[in-house]
Amino acid sequence: MTAEAPPAVAVDKSQDSAPVSGVRAWLSRHPLAAYAIRRFGLYLIELWGALTIAFFFFRLMPGDPIQTLIQTLQQNYIYNAQASAEIIARYKHEFGLDGNLLTQYLVYMQKLILHGDLGPSLINYPTPAQTVILRSLPWTIGLLGISAVMAWILGVVIGAIAGWRRGKLGSAIATNLSIALSHVPYFFVALILVYVFAYSMGLLPARSAYDSNINPGISFAFIGSVLKYGLLPGLSIVIIGTFSWILSTRMLMIPILGEDYLVYAEAKGLKNSRILTRYALRNCYLPQITAFGISLGFIFNGNVLVEQLFSYPGLGTTLVTAIQQLDFNTILGVTDIAIFSVLTAVLLLDLLLPLLDPRVKYWK
Amino acid sequence: MNNVLEVKGLEVVYSTNRGDVQAVRGIDLDVHRGEILGIAGESGSGKSTLAVALLRLLKAPGKVTGGSVMFHPAGRSPVDLLKVHGEELRVLRWSALSYLPQGSMSSLNPVMRVEEQFKDVILEHAPARRDSLGELIPRLLGQVGLEPRVGRMYPHELSGGMKQRVLMAIAVALEPDLVIADEPTTALDVTIQRVILQSLADLRTDFGVTLMVISHDMGVHAQLADRVAVMYEGRLVEVGDVRQVFKDPQDPYTRQLIESIPRLGRKAS
Repeated sequence: MTAEAPPAVAVDKSQDSAPVSGVRAWLSRHPLAAYAIRRFGLYLIELWGALTIAFFFFRLMPGDPIQTLIQTLQQNYIYNAQASAEIIARYKHEFGLDGNLLTQYLVYMQKLILHGDLGPSLINYPTPAQTVILRSLPWTIGLLGISAVMAWILGVVIGAIAGWRRGKLGSAIATNLSIALSHVPYFFVALILVYVFAYSMGLLPARSAYDSNINPGISFAFIGSVLKYGLLPGLSIVIIGTFSWILSTRMLMIPILGEDYLVYAEAKGLKNSRILTRYALRNCYLPQITAFGISLGFIFNGNVLVEQLFSYPGLGTTLVTAIQQLDFNTILGVTDIAIFSVLTAVLLLDLLLPLLDPRVKYWK
Repeated sequence: MNNVLEVKGLEVVYSTNRGDVQAVRGIDLDVHRGEILGIAGESGSGKSTLAVALLRLLKAPGKVTGGSVMFHPAGRSPVDLLKVHGEELRVLRWSALSYLPQGSMSSLNPVMRVEEQFKDVILEHAPARRDSLGELIPRLLGQVGLEPRVGRMYPHELSGGMKQRVLMAIAVALEPDLVIADEPTTALDVTIQRVILQSLADLRTDFGVTLMVISHDMGVHAQLADRVAVMYEGRLVEVGDVRQVFKDPQDPYTRQLIESIPRLGRKAS
């Protein structure tokens, strides 16, 4: 409660310095700002709630990470068999495991919010978990971000056309293909892609994110290599994502085709292309923007397996390794990053929506 | 006689899996240039089907099975509305044949400003008026008693009566030869109905449009129409001058319709 609440309160306090009625009047005169402030307050509460739940949830994990670490150290350095109580206490302190659960929580939240510190990573000790995560984050943002947006655009456009031309052959093919494939897991498609393009045809690499013979940096060779290596994992997300967006967009599109304003547009003698874009699509893509934000969390889940399959050095691979090694600070850190990204994306989309849809009310 | 529209033997059916249901049965009807023709009849009499068939907006399972509809737009060669297709039909729409739907329906695109919904149809059929749009749209809105600022509004910000007026202004934007109005006053309260009817009558005076007004409300026809055509079970049972029909209805059904108009001092029993 203490951790995330202060900034929100502080924001409100700074405006309360004017008489209360003045603030209210200002907010009612600026409904968009009022909406943004309220939405942002909600965002802070959501963020705090989700981070708190994640923290306590991961503290329930069985196993003693300190014992694991000490065993590892013993194996590596042929350490004194009996680690002194002092060393254990020291490690517990460093990993934020001393004191009762509430103290641990307060210390964790304080470090996280004030210093962006997630605590040291167990397997990369003493490297902090945030450093480990930041190394893999750009790969996931690149892979997941680009493929998710591409899938959305492709799916909404194809789905709208499939709805528009329903009853025609092309539309029927797209729809039935989507019904069959939209719920196939990403990794399954990834396996097929690897088998066909990497194993059988040998066209594309199946592992890693770039050619290890090329020095990472801003060069054509490196960027080309990143694109080439990202093609198969990206494609597996794009293909399945596109199919599910086709299906849901088509479902939104068909009732719109029966709307009075479509009949009216036809009676107006507008060109079909214009009716499709300005009347049908304009009304059907708006709910899909909200749906995109909600879907990000699910895409992240599926992405974990895809990265693992391609040994892609992204967050998913980092997460799986961390779980195997009981690297709890990294596990929690990856979860926190995922929570933060999804909530922030939804916040941004919610702030964007009133600008796109005149019917969204900014005020209560 | 100077006719805008000559309907001959029009037949419309709705196909169901239990066979065809005939909604319009062999209608013959002329619409004179400059008149207001009322189409009366109860629910299910086929009057709305007639309207959508004439507007070529009939959707499956509806199907025209016979007849012809000769349309005589001013300055163009006459066409059979049932035989034009595609581009030929599209260019006829609005500039010659326009449609006024019921305002309580969601005929306006909810995510477009009112002025945009004027603009798209005007630019589609009369691109030369692009430069005068800024003056034309407020003038059209003024014609139906709306302020210019309504143009900047979205449909959900308008009342039912305002929407109906916006639709009226859009309907006459290109001075069409014929406007087909489907229940233009239904679902409006009586005071607004009165205003809408007055505006419709004014539009005829100002723009010289020919109006075909579909309504189940005999009161509307009494106030607005020059002639009235009464439909019953898909057939035209009576056509005539509105005063004549009200004074001396020839068909028993017409008499029933007229007697069903509520009057003060007469209680339903």
